[in-house]
Amino acid sequence: MFTQQLVNGLTIGGIYALIAVGYTMVYGVIQLINFAHGEVYMLGAFFAATFIMVMGMPFYMAFILAMACGAICGMLLDVIAYRPLRRSPRLACLITAIGMSIFLQNLAMLIWGSRPKPFPSQSLPEWFNTTWVFSHFRLTGFHLFVFGVTIIMMVGLNLLIKKTRFGKAMRAVAQNKTMAALAGINVNKVITLTFAVAGSMGAAAGLLVGAYYNSLYPTMGYVAGVKAFAAAVLGGIGSVPGAMLGGIVLGVAEAMGAGYLSSLYRDGISYGVMILVIVFIPAGFFGVVIKETKKSI
Amino acid sequence: MDQKISNSSKLKIALLILALVLPAFPFVSQHMLHIIILIYLYMILALGLNIIPGFNGLLDLGFVGFYGIGAYTSGLLTYHFGMSYWMIMPLAFLNGALWGVLLGAPTLRLTGDYFAIVTFGFSELVVLFLTNEIWLTRGPLGLPGILPPSIDLSWFGGPVWEFQGELPYYYLAIVMVLGTVFVMHRIQDSRLGRAWFAIRDDEVAAVSCGINLLVYKVIAFGTSAAFGALGGSFFARWVTFLSPDMFKFWESFLVLCMVVLGGMGNIWGVMVGAAVLVSLSEVLREVLSAVGLPVEIRFLAFGLIMVLVMRYRPAGLMPIPAVAAQMRAGRVKRKKVKTAVS
Amino acid sequence: MKGKGSLFCKGLILTVGLIFCMTTAASAADTIRIGVAGPFTGDAAAYGDNIKAGVSLKLKEINGAGGINGKKVEIVWGDDLCQPKEGGTVASKFANDKKMVAVIGHVCSSATLAGMPIYVRAKMPVISATSTNETIGHVGKGWFFRNCYTDDFQGEYLASHVVKELLGLKRVGIFYENNDYAIGLKDSFVKGAQDSGLQVTGTEAYMKGATDFTPQLTKLLRDDPETLFLCGYHLEGALIAGQARKLGFEGPLFGGDGIDNADYIEIGGEAADNTYMTVPFLAQAAGPEGQKFAEDYKEENGRDVDWMSANAYDCMGILAYVIEKVGADREKIREGLAAINSPEKGYEGVTGLTYFNEVGDCFKPAFVKKVEGGKFVPAE
Repeated sequence: MFTQQLVNGLTIGGIYALIAVGYTMVYGVIQLINFAHGEVYMLGAFFAATFIMVMGMPFYMAFILAMACGAICGMLLDVIAYRPLRRSPRLACLITAIGMSIFLQNLAMLIWGSRPKPFPSQSLPEWFNTTWVFSHFRLTGFHLFVFGVTIIMMVGLNLLIKKTRFGKAMRAVAQNKTMAALAGINVNKVITLTFAVAGSMGAAAGLLVGAYYNSLYPTMGYVAGVKAFAAAVLGGIGSVPGAMLGGIVLGVAEAMGAGYLSSLYRDGISYGVMILVIVFIPAGFFGVVIKETKKSI
Repeated sequence: MDQKISNSSKLKIALLILALVLPAFPFVSQHMLHIIILIYLYMILALGLNIIPGFNGLLDLGFVGFYGIGAYTSGLLTYHFGMSYWMIMPLAFLNGALWGVLLGAPTLRLTGDYFAIVTFGFSELVVLFLTNEIWLTRGPLGLPGILPPSIDLSWFGGPVWEFQGELPYYYLAIVMVLGTVFVMHRIQDSRLGRAWFAIRDDEVAAVSCGINLLVYKVIAFGTSAAFGALGGSFFARWVTFLSPDMFKFWESFLVLCMVVLGGMGNIWGVMVGAAVLVSLSEVLREVLSAVGLPVEIRFLAFGLIMVLVMRYRPAGLMPIPAVAAQMRAGRVKRKKVKTAVS
Repeated sequence: MKGKGSLFCKGLILTVGLIFCMTTAASAADTIRIGVAGPFTGDAAAYGDNIKAGVSLKLKEINGAGGINGKKVEIVWGDDLCQPKEGGTVASKFANDKKMVAVIGHVCSSATLAGMPIYVRAKMPVISATSTNETIGHVGKGWFFRNCYTDDFQGEYLASHVVKELLGLKRVGIFYENNDYAIGLKDSFVKGAQDSGLQVTGTEAYMKGATDFTPQLTKLLRDDPETLFLCGYHLEGALIAGQARKLGFEGPLFGGDGIDNADYIEIGGEAADNTYMTVPFLAQAAGPEGQKFAEDYKEENGRDVDWMSANAYDCMGILAYVIEKVGADREKIREGLAAINSPEKGYEGVTGLTYFNEVGDCFKPAFVKKVEGGKFVPAE
């Protein structure tokens, strides 16, 4: 059972990690807990399903297009909702994020209806259903696909942040916006692009979840968003490798907790772990201890 | 100056009188009273929460946890021991304060958003506890049939008068709101309030003036939690039914939105925020059906209006003068956080 | 100071003014107004959608046939989000509407429980298609009726009839949702299982909104049950079925009426096959009226009928039947509903013969159906 629970935990953890990265990147550049991120994740899943069902696209193409749509959603979110508030109190941004989250959720409900929809599973490639039965656990092609996508995206994202000009600009903006602007960086553009990257990762995660569990519904963003948020905190909010590790640790901890302790307190385990980590290592696994002189408002 | 102050207090007195005689108007129905009581309830909650972001400059995402603790304290004591509401009210208040201190003492040394995240986790744990500990709370089955409050005057031969209909609750809620506003005003002008404002405006300067940050913050958190619990204790006896899903994260958001929307730190602004948001959701219900739009569109409009208000009034409807001045000058500086995106 | 005061004043006047606007509800003079409360937005909106479909269909039939005693029926939809607080607000709105004579709802027991005291005070008869919580009847003080199984009956029936006789199996794993419906159903099933000599190999729970059930399923399947009890609603049920099959479980699944929904097959896909469930309505076993209802429903909504819609359809039918007899008046409707208290006086709807006991719980026949080849078919 242990190995099987580990596989379960790693699968869901990888997906948490993909969403958590979105929270953490946005937090890194503008210190905003982007509560609408869970809705981008939900929209990603719905876009992919629509592409496949209505336009008859093959799965991989829908995957890439859904990520592009996620990126556009992220950018629109920033340009329409957050950019006008750059110089406002931070809580105004937070309330805007909540407002956008409610708005997008209900918009999706109007467009696609409130009933859960199945993911068009016939479009999934054949090898997803291949099952390998080992002595203690079972593994499907889909598990491997989720692992693969998570790993590729994480490596790609790290390269993007470490090796490219955009990544450098993003790190500069995260550290000090005024100085970044003085160095000739277009701060607004960098922030919008950060939202785009975060959105595309979120959309990819939404699609994976939708296809893996074969169901999509407009409120799916909430629970996943909250969990991923916990994962981001666990890893040290603002730190990208931290979010990845946080997601995976959280996924495994939940699976083990539900498997060996009480399934009723499964969600409690995430929050409990989160609180303990914050109280004892406030910076999370990877974050840098923040010395603030100003408070959060 | 004198003239202006008396103008504003004239207005307040006029509003109070209006509130007191409101139920006597023929066009005020039970339904409208129900909604106004809801507004009063959220005024108490918003005033309680206001202490944390408004007076202390900390973010609290888990206020509903204390609301839930207060409601279940009230509900369970009534359900099991049949205690009188007048005894339960202070008990719930103290229980809220106790939990606020228990949570606040170890975590309030955390800075900025980390504290907010802890409060969020705490409120989710409270909901999970209420849901899962069926032996104590009946869990998702809920606590039905909580007795309404009553005024027992039988000890000197008077009548026992049980609350029926919305009217007694209406006046009880007014008394509670007045009490809360009174306490908030006294705090605002006291040494405690000034210490809080100092912490809000500049922690380093506050420390150098000899303010013990942790102690004052814990007091603030305890007080805020106590008022949350007070609101909860009223809520339990008013709806006479409790279930854990009343205390989801969404309620925290709603109360926080009221505080921010009304104008953080401003007692009157926060009350306006509560009135606007509670009635907005009801008004939308009516307006949409009158215009012929489907019911499903209500929260779409709700979210959109929230976004628009923040877009055009980022400091809230009635900001405190300091914030308003800053906004006008466009000098609100974001705090600088050294965060590594490594 | 002045600016602050005047803005405060404006804000308050605006608010109060808006509330006063709410009293307007102009409508045609001679209609019978009935309220329907349920979650039409929020995370339980799919249930509200089922109720809406069922009620709308019956409404169309009634008004198409000229209404009740010549008066058209008018529906007011009240969105309660499945939240007790909103439930109370909707209840007070309905109670305050002098023209409203009865309420269908609420969907979630918690919202019904919060609204009931208000309805009792306003003397408003309420009939729910889905609220199964056993305590509502006592809070309702005679004003509450329900057109759905109580949990007691269904759980024991599942144990003694479905598992023991129909499936002929002994070892059951229970997977329940942590809400009032499923806990009640689980408890009565466990009681029935003891009486029938079944063995419960394990009990696990999940929370509403969860999508990943593999950790709990892995734990349940370790004890090697012959069949799994999906004690909850159809969305989670379908996900559990899919994940259980992925983990290699091949035995039959079963559940209560909660999983009876076309979406269960749609989402579960092949994994949904070999699932048994108790339902109040079975098109194949129903008379010509029921057959027609199932066809009309499919034509109208593009999906197979489910238990919530069928119950809601009959709620509307029962109200129409009573109003036709006693007239559109709250107290008379309550008496009329309470008078349906024996099989002889029962209402013959698509969900079978329905009658109420003294606390408004109903008695109605149960059918068993199963999923086979992506379709619902009778199991017997």
